[in-house]
Amino acid sequence: MILIGELSLWVALLMTAWSAVTSFAGGTLGREDLITSGRRGLYVTCAMVVLASIGLWDALLTHDFSLSYVASHISSNMPKVYVFTAFWSGQAGSMLFWALILSIYSSIAIWSANEKARALAPWACGTLACVLLFFIATTCFKANPFERLSFVPADGKGMNPQLQNPGMAIHPPNLYLGYVATAIPFAFAVAALITRQLDASWLMLVRRWALISWFFLTIGIVLGMWWAYVELGWSGYWAWDPVENSSFLPWLTGTAFLHSIMIQEKRGMLRKWNVVLVVVTFLLSIFGTFITRSGIIESVHSFAQSPVGSWFGAFFFLATGTTIYLVATRLNDLEARATLESMVSREAAFLYNNLVLVGIAFSVLWGTIFPILSEWVRGSKITVGPPFFNTVNIPLGLLLLALTGVGPLIAWRKASTSNLRRQFAVPVFAGLFAGSALIALGMRNGHALVAYALAAFVTGTIAQEFYKGINARRSIHGEGVVTATIRLIARNRRRYGGYIVHAGIVVLFAAFAGLAFKKDHDVQLKAGEAKEIVDPLGHRWRFVSQGVSTSETLNRFVTAVGLEVFRDGERQGILSSEKRQYYDSNKQPQFEPSTEVGIRTSAKMDLYVVLAGVNGDTAELRISFNPLVVWVWIGGVIMALGGLIVMWPQAERRRAGGYVATLAPARELEAAAAS
Amino acid sequence: MQRRDFVGRLAAASAAFVLAQTAGAQQGAAPASGANSNLFDMNQEAAKTVRRAPKPGATKSMSDEDRDGAERQIRCQCGCTLDVYICRTTDFSCQVSPAMHRDIISLVDGGYSAQEIIDSFVQVYGERALMAPKHEGFNLAAYWLPAAAIGAGALALVGFLRRMQERTVPVAANIASPSSVSGTDDEMARLQAAIRRDD
Repeated sequence: MILIGELSLWVALLMTAWSAVTSFAGGTLGREDLITSGRRGLYVTCAMVVLASIGLWDALLTHDFSLSYVASHISSNMPKVYVFTAFWSGQAGSMLFWALILSIYSSIAIWSANEKARALAPWACGTLACVLLFFIATTCFKANPFERLSFVPADGKGMNPQLQNPGMAIHPPNLYLGYVATAIPFAFAVAALITRQLDASWLMLVRRWALISWFFLTIGIVLGMWWAYVELGWSGYWAWDPVENSSFLPWLTGTAFLHSIMIQEKRGMLRKWNVVLVVVTFLLSIFGTFITRSGIIESVHSFAQSPVGSWFGAFFFLATGTTIYLVATRLNDLEARATLESMVSREAAFLYNNLVLVGIAFSVLWGTIFPILSEWVRGSKITVGPPFFNTVNIPLGLLLLALTGVGPLIAWRKASTSNLRRQFAVPVFAGLFAGSALIALGMRNGHALVAYALAAFVTGTIAQEFYKGINARRSIHGEGVVTATIRLIARNRRRYGGYIVHAGIVVLFAAFAGLAFKKDHDVQLKAGEAKEIVDPLGHRWRFVSQGVSTSETLNRFVTAVGLEVFRDGERQGILSSEKRQYYDSNKQPQFEPSTEVGIRTSAKMDLYVVLAGVNGDTAELRISFNPLVVWVWIGGVIMALGGLIVMWPQAERRRAGGYVATLAPARELEAAAAS
Repeated sequence: MQRRDFVGRLAAASAAFVLAQTAGAQQGAAPASGANSNLFDMNQEAAKTVRRAPKPGATKSMSDEDRDGAERQIRCQCGCTLDVYICRTTDFSCQVSPAMHRDIISLVDGGYSAQEIIDSFVQVYGERALMAPKHEGFNLAAYWLPAAAIGAGALALVGFLRRMQERTVPVAANIASPSSVSGTDDEMARLQAAIRRDD
C-alpha cells in the first residue's frame, strides 16, 4: 500500500501538470476536448492524492518505521487516534494533507462550475491545477512523507506530548480546510480576470467557497486558542505569535470580502476591490505559510528552518506578480458602473468596515514582518510581541465592534435623519446604559468599559433587528414567536445568520475584555498547607494541598498535585495539576516534561492551576483567575453556527400566489414622492 | 501520438522515476531530527548573567506584582517568544526564564527600578530582550505606519465615495424613504417583510 501511495503521488504530480497545460490550452484554443481532458486530469489527480494519503495513513497505522516520517512522528505505544492525526502533525504529512484537501476542493469546485460557468471553468481548472502542482511538487521534492530510512528503527520518536491533545487533533485540519478553500475564489478571480468576465456572476460561484474558508478558519482559530489555553499552561489563548497571525490574516481579509461582496451584488460597486480581496486572502494564506515555514521569523510553533520555505516564497512572489499583472491590465474592465447616493448608507458602512478589517490585517502583517525589516535596516533583531499588537489593535478592534452595530442600522442607498434616529435610539441607549451601569459598579478599566458599552450597543442592534423581523412575520402570518423566529432565520439565512455571527463577535469581545481583570498568584505548598487568595470578583478562595504524588500510565510518568478547593468557605472539590514525562516503548524519556493544567470552569471565571515544578515535597504552583474565558469558546461556537446558517443552501423562493414587492426604479419613486 | 498514449507513457516514466528515487532515498536517509517534532528549537544555553552591584543601602525596590509587570516586558531568550513571567511557568520546561527571573529578583533586591532593570537586560541581550520595540528611531515606523496607512485609506475612501456621489443623478436625494410611503399597517408590514427578504 505504501508503494502504491508513493507511486500515486508521482502520478498525481504528472496528472496535475497535464491538467494545468490542457486546461489553459483548451481555454485559449477553445477546444472542448482539451478542456474535458484538463478537467478529468484534475479528477485523476484527486484520486491519486487520495491514494497517496491512504498509503501514508497505512504506514502510520501499521507502524512502518522504515519511513522517516513515521519514525519521526509516532511511536508504537501512542494512542491510535494520535497515530492517525500524525498525518498532519509534521512538515511532509501536512504538505500532503494540504494537497489532499486542495485536490478534493478543486474537483468539487470544477465539477459544480462546469455547468454554471463554462467560460470560466477551464481557466479556473488550470489555475487550481497550477496551485495543486506547486503543493504536490513541494511534497515530492522537498518534503516527501514516503522518504525511507537507511535502516528500520525498532520504534519511532513519538509525537510531542503537546500535540497529543484532542484540540490539536482537529485544530490543524480545520485551519487547512480554511486556508485551502481560499484557493477556489482565487482561481475563479484569475479566470474572471483572464476572460474579462468581471460582472457579479463569478462572485456567485465563489461566495460559498469564501464562506467555507471563513467558517473553517473561524473554527480552526478558536480551536487553536482552546488548545493553547488548556495545553500550553501559560493561562492565555492568544500570544500574537507569527503562526497565529498567519491564520488571522486571511480570516480578516476573507471577512472583509464577505461584506464587500454584498455591495457588488446589490449595487455593482467595488469590482476592483473584491478581486483584490479575493487575491490577497489567498496570497496571505501562502505568505503566512512562507514566513512561518522558512524560518525567517521566530515562532513558538514548528516547521522553522524547513526546506519548503524558499519554495513557498517563490510561489508567493510568482502568484503575486501574475495577479498584479492581470489586475493592472484589466483596470478598465473593473471600472464600477454604479453610483453612491449618500455617505451615510449601508454600502458606505460596509466600506468603513472593510477599511477597518483591512487596516487590522495590515497592522498584524506589519507587526509580524517588522522584525525582518528591522534586521535589514538596522542590523539588529527586535521582538514585536503582544504589547505592540495590543497597543495597535485594541482601538481598531473596538472600532470594528462599533461598526458591527452601526452597519445593520443604516438603510441601503441613503439613510434619512428620521431613519437614523429611529434605528439608533434603542442600541445607543443600551450602550450608554451598560457603560453607565459598569461605571456605577466601579469598573475603571477604559478599554474594558468601552468594549462592554459597545457590546451592549451591538447587542441592541441585533435584538432590534430580530424583534422587527419577528414582529413583521407575526403580523403577516400570525405565527408564534418561536415559529416566526425560526422561519425568519430560515427564509433569510444570509441576513440573520450574519446577525448570529455578529452576536458571536460580541460574546468574543466581552470575553476578551474580561482578561483585563485577570489575576495570577505564585504559590508554594507542602502537603497539608493552605493558601487563601481573593479573586477579582471578591470571592475568598482557599487551597489546601493534598501533597505531591507520582504514577505511571500508558506512555508517561505523571507527577501530580491535588488541591482541595474552597470558595467562600464552601468546598468546591479537588483540582489536580500534573507534570508528565512521556517515554518510548523502552521507557526512555521523550521530549521535555509537559504540564497538564487543572482548570475549573464557570461562566464568570476560570480557576487555572499550573504545577510549575516540584521542589522536594513542595509544589510550586501558579494559580490564575481568568474571567469570562469560557465565553471565548461559546462565542466561537455561536460564530460557527451563524456561519453554518449563512452557508446552508437555500432553495429558490416560491412566491407564486404570495405577496411580491418589487422596488420601483429611482425615477418612479421620485415621481411618487413628488405627487 | 495519441493523448492516452502520452499519459500512459508519462505514468510509466513516473513509476521508473519513483523507483529510482526510492532506491536513492534508502541509501542516505537518516531519521528526522527531534526538532521536527518539537514545537520550536529551545535554546537552553541562551541565558546570560545580568547582574549589577546593589545600590548603597539598597532595599527591595518594588512589590512582587510590580516585578511581575517588569518581567512581562522582558522576553525570554529560549526561543519561545513569550515574556519571562509567562515562560517561567509554562509547559516548555525552560531553564532560561527561571535564570532571567533570578537576575530580575537580584536587581529588585539591589534597589533598581523597573526601567533600570529593563535597561540592564537590553545592555546584555540587545533590544531583542524587549517584548515590544522602543518608541524611537526606525521603530516609530512600527507604531505609526499602521495608523498612517489606515488614515491614508480613510482619505482615499472618502475621496472614492465623493466621486461616486458626484456621478449620482441629483434626483436620488429626493427618493422617498420607506417611512414616507403611506399605507395601512398591514401593507406596511408586508412591505417591510418584502424589503427584508430582499436584503
